[in-house]
Amino acid sequence: MSFSPAVKRQLWSIVGFAVAVLALMAFLQSDYFELVLTQVLLWAVMSLAWNILCGYSGYFSFGHAAFWGLGAYTVALGLIHFDLSPWLTIPAGAVVGGLAGALIGFPTFRLRGHYFALAMLAYPLATLYVFQWLGYQEIPLPMKREAPILYMQFADPRAYVALALGLLVVTLLISLKVENSRFGISLFAIKQNEPAAEAAGIDTWRWKMLALMLSGALAAMAGGLYAVVLLVVTPEAVFGMLVSAQALILALFGGVGSLWGPVIGAAVLVPLAEGLNAKLGDVLPGIQGVVYGVAIIAIILLAPEGVYWRIRDRFAGRLPEAVPMPAGGGAIPAMPRQVRSRMAGEDLLVLRDLGISFGGLRALDGVDLSVPEGGLYGIIGPNGAGKTTLFNVINGFLSPERGSISFAGESLVGLRPNQVCRKGIGRTFQVVRAFPRMTVLENVTAGAFVGAADDAEARYMAAAALDRVGLGARANALAGGLTNRELRLMELARALAPQPRLVLLDETLAGLGHDDLDAILGAIRQVSAQGVTVLIIEHTMQAMVQLVDHFDVLDHGRLIASGTPETVVRNSQVIEAYLGKKWAEQVAVAAK
Amino acid sequence: MTHKLTRRSVAKGLAVSAVALALPAIGRAQAKSVKIAMIAPMSGPWARQGQLLRMGADLAVEDINARGGIKSLGGAKLNIIYADAGDSTEKAKNAAQRLVADNPDLVGGTGSWLSSFTLAVTEVTERAQIPWLTLSYSDAITNRGFKFVFQTSPTADWQAAQTVPTALDLAQSATGKRPTTVGLIMDNTAAPTSFAKPLREGGFEKAGLKLVVDQIYTPPLSDATPLIEKVRSAKPDFLLLLTSAMPDCKLVLEKLDEFKLSHGKIPLVGNGAPFGSPELLKTIGPELLEGMLFSVANWPMKGQEEFIERFKKKTGEPFLTQDALCGYGHPAILAEALEAGGAADKIKVAEAIRAMNLTTGPAAQCFPGPIKFDEKGRRVDVPMIFAQWQKGVPLTVFPTDLALATPVWPSV
Repeated sequence: MSFSPAVKRQLWSIVGFAVAVLALMAFLQSDYFELVLTQVLLWAVMSLAWNILCGYSGYFSFGHAAFWGLGAYTVALGLIHFDLSPWLTIPAGAVVGGLAGALIGFPTFRLRGHYFALAMLAYPLATLYVFQWLGYQEIPLPMKREAPILYMQFADPRAYVALALGLLVVTLLISLKVENSRFGISLFAIKQNEPAAEAAGIDTWRWKMLALMLSGALAAMAGGLYAVVLLVVTPEAVFGMLVSAQALILALFGGVGSLWGPVIGAAVLVPLAEGLNAKLGDVLPGIQGVVYGVAIIAIILLAPEGVYWRIRDRFAGRLPEAVPMPAGGGAIPAMPRQVRSRMAGEDLLVLRDLGISFGGLRALDGVDLSVPEGGLYGIIGPNGAGKTTLFNVINGFLSPERGSISFAGESLVGLRPNQVCRKGIGRTFQVVRAFPRMTVLENVTAGAFVGAADDAEARYMAAAALDRVGLGARANALAGGLTNRELRLMELARALAPQPRLVLLDETLAGLGHDDLDAILGAIRQVSAQGVTVLIIEHTMQAMVQLVDHFDVLDHGRLIASGTPETVVRNSQVIEAYLGKKWAEQVAVAAK
Repeated sequence: MTHKLTRRSVAKGLAVSAVALALPAIGRAQAKSVKIAMIAPMSGPWARQGQLLRMGADLAVEDINARGGIKSLGGAKLNIIYADAGDSTEKAKNAAQRLVADNPDLVGGTGSWLSSFTLAVTEVTERAQIPWLTLSYSDAITNRGFKFVFQTSPTADWQAAQTVPTALDLAQSATGKRPTTVGLIMDNTAAPTSFAKPLREGGFEKAGLKLVVDQIYTPPLSDATPLIEKVRSAKPDFLLLLTSAMPDCKLVLEKLDEFKLSHGKIPLVGNGAPFGSPELLKTIGPELLEGMLFSVANWPMKGQEEFIERFKKKTGEPFLTQDALCGYGHPAILAEALEAGGAADKIKVAEAIRAMNLTTGPAAQCFPGPIKFDEKGRRVDVPMIFAQWQKGVPLTVFPTDLALATPVWPSV
């Protein structure tokens, strides 16, 4: 197995971290410090588990205590009712946590943003009452005097440190793997722009569910080990608000969406809180909470994104990593699959009687359209004509109320955007939907997964697509720092990366200066020349007249004209739509 | 400018807390002293209870040392250290582990009020073989086969079984007649639910009672009218009131008053020390509380009059309660054990507690019944105490030999 230099560096960091913890464990002479160290490691696992869903995908959860608690109760109830050892019930807890993740995700992923976060709040609160009602108020884990080790009961507290460390290392490795695979890139893409991710062929639902299940499984394992360490399980202690808040605070403090952020958060805040309790709790009870709160506020003021990002920005900058470029330099043949073997000119996309309305507004009203394979077709129309709606219906963001959409003979109606993308339709957006904190190459790679068998191929295809649009030199720049032209080209490359048969370009030319316009027009022509069918919408006629070989004009949701650019611009209905009835009459008179 | 200021003040704040962290532990060991510990919630939602425990313990240590310390140890002074159990089981367990690690010379301890805290704390103290006294009354505490935990309160199950029969005895001794009907108003939280379960499952019948009103609500209670209407029409001989939130209790009492059923017209019986707390008096007032009875594990009794006065004067509390009384009693038991064991050694202290059978002396005075533990660490031969609100003070009224006042039970 070969790793990229960045992954190798992280692997060594994990090894170094584990050695440091083991050294600290050997150095600490007190059972008390070993206990606090164990708690630091367990909370780090919990916070990392939270981070897998919430840090990477941006779906914040205020309810991770649900998983922690289920893990803890799996261990406690397994031991008292069935005499099952935590060696079995902690992994079993992972299964319970994963299943709970699936059950919770199924209804809750219908929500987004704050609504998702608040809905998650409900689960631990509800389970708390369920466990109270079931009569599991206080479950002490029985002391096993015979064969204690078989029941994970050790006299030496260092054993718990080692167990917690093992769990943390596993969690770090899983996080690292997630970060560096299509799983992670898909989650990053979802975080930054979910519709764009979906349109780029990422099955957002599936990745979110997987992230929640993985997150739930890891949190449940941490909760299970926590029960073994604490030896008493109460609903308040494992399902309480404090647990969910702790996971979130540690990650926010240390740095959301990073591998080491949650670990930093746990390593600083858990001992700080405990130290304050120890030193101030009996002298000035309550003051420890105040100091803890002040420390958190101070950090948030000084490092709003968390300690990790602050340090990284300060000392390392954002060093772009060297990405291995596909061999053979820039000369990558653009080879859309199958396309060449087909007869050019056959209809690829056929819309029949397409209609959708929003309330009383008929956004699309009986649209008929055929785009032949290899064609470069344009749709124009004034603002509000229904152009973007048409694209949204084709690529699955919206479902048509009537009519049919067929692509290469298959119906697209009812498919989700990522499925439409899989069929071979890429799209760009009117307002560029980039993933600003990812590099250009990563942005495009996110789009390439659909057409690639593995992550390496996706990367290769992405690099190839960047070269096709002439953006190869900027592969390692962060998307957030691109110019408007580069953004447009990058989005084009993202749409092209999985080698689609058809690309939908939504006002790609809008707001561009003269030079930029020429560059993009050139890129589009080249794409078309390579055999990809192009359907582009614009509201300005000028650029389109130069570009396309066929025009359709959309107004108030209806196609009012169709033909070559020369005929369409003379059509009186088109002139009326653009310039008003009076102007159309004048043109008509002049023509006579 | 503002930004700079913020930074500076933040830095200052951090510096202050760093200094606080670096402060050495307070309370140096004295030349000749034995060390005991109390872990109680001193911050968070149960801080008040921890405070009361600590008031009692402070007084106890003061008294023991004023009497000349532990005589069998050459007059060694008793030294008590405190740790905050905070607001979670995790914090309570950490406090215990810290205490044990920092004080290898601990000979005994007490705490931690909330039974889940006590469960966590005793997991640590048991392994360290430190004799530990607690007033928490969850059965689980002494069901684990532990050897170093001693529960001075009768357990929850026992209290649930004893409250109703004892209430009937009390009524009979006060009026000569035994009640035959009972009403029950309770919320559906954990403690009332487990308290009422054995009663519903034959407990009432066995006591010769007919349950004529049976009302369960989900807290918070918004209006007590429908509950009290049921009580008014069924007229039970007495009403068992198992509320866990003070505002709910207040609503019920106000509604009873409105329906002219208060002031003992229908005797009220509750369970647990919260029914006798100064906070309840503050919230509800002496008028409405007048005549309300409650069963409780421990309450100030006959023979403690002088101590009660001293406690009130010293602390400014309106009256002595279970928490402060046990806070006083536990160090007293440890002192007796040190005295009997004759060594500042935790194992010897534990042995002395196991062998203990005290009926007189400062420790025995703090608890009803003898200080004698069975092999589980539970006290034996403990009577169920009843206290009653009389003129703004909850006074022990039953059993008669421990009573500070005569119970009032209206003739039915």
